[in-house]
Amino acid sequence: MSTTPALGWRLPPLAVLLIAVALIACAEVGGASMVQFKWELTRWARSVMLSRPAVHGLVGVRDVDESIIDEALVKFDAGLRLFHMHAEGMGLVIIAATTVAVTLVASAPLARAIVVLVTAGGAGYPVGYLLWSALIPFYGIEAGKATAEWLVWIPFGGATIVAMWWLTGILAWRVIRRA
Amino acid sequence: MFMLALGETGGAVMSQLRPQLDRYARARVAASPQTHGLAGSAEYDDEIAARVVFTVEAGLSFFHTHAEGIGLVTLAAGTLVASLVPWRRPRSALYALIVAGALFPLGYLVYGAAALEAGLDAGVELAERYVLTPLGSAMIAALVGLLVLALVGRRSTGGRTGLSA
Repeated sequence: MSTTPALGWRLPPLAVLLIAVALIACAEVGGASMVQFKWELTRWARSVMLSRPAVHGLVGVRDVDESIIDEALVKFDAGLRLFHMHAEGMGLVIIAATTVAVTLVASAPLARAIVVLVTAGGAGYPVGYLLWSALIPFYGIEAGKATAEWLVWIPFGGATIVAMWWLTGILAWRVIRRA
Repeated sequence: MFMLALGETGGAVMSQLRPQLDRYARARVAASPQTHGLAGSAEYDDEIAARVVFTVEAGLSFFHTHAEGIGLVTLAAGTLVASLVPWRRPRSALYALIVAGALFPLGYLVYGAAALEAGLDAGVELAERYVLTPLGSAMIAALVGLLVLALVGRRSTGGRTGLSA
């Protein structure tokens, strides 16, 4: 994180790379598990929903209940898929953004702050989709979404967005100064 | 980094403001009945409005995913150009193409907005013809150019490139 012009990309801290690669590995395992255990997961979610009829508004009429359960199962599956996609993507975003930060942000404390925000935010955000999926059978689609939103998506997603715009601003300032 | 930041912000906006976007899109469709071919029958008009709203949401969703992806592609391609293309002018040309290609995801914002303002088919065609195709082609041309120039550069420098040095 020196003030001299960079001659090549600098590596972010090893712990950051480990987190990013572990996140990508989790995403891949998640994607594979989603396919491999699709029926087991669906049966589990269905049985939990049936054991909590009041939460899901089940009325005991097969036609009505089946459509409610189907909708919840679609969202349950969507949560798992979104975890898979976002974890793959955020792993790469962490590697790219932290590499840019340690190479091009001249101030070491600033670069460190951006690295921490991008890494924590990027690694935490996809977990929100897993949490949402896990909460749907117990608390319903909307209650699960609200919990995941306030516990994970807003704080971790917010940290990533702040860090990315901060980094973009610093790079833009460098470009303007150079011009 | 700008496209990555835009992509992330776009995703957050899409998720947080979905009801507002839905209402706005339906209001815009209702405000231009001729453009969208509304017939005055509630059932038929509702179906048309739903298709337009779906297209607008798809545009935002594609913008989010493509902006995240193209940011990484731009970074990787730019690094490879800097490392593998030894000539200044071709390098500058490739940078220009990569920068144009990096703007490709903005085409999906145009796609959503044009579907809303010019009608579904006309809007989608406009975005595809004037924004998505030229910008997407610029990135494809940059990547093909990079491949060709990297191979030629490797031959002319005997394999001494930025990556192998």
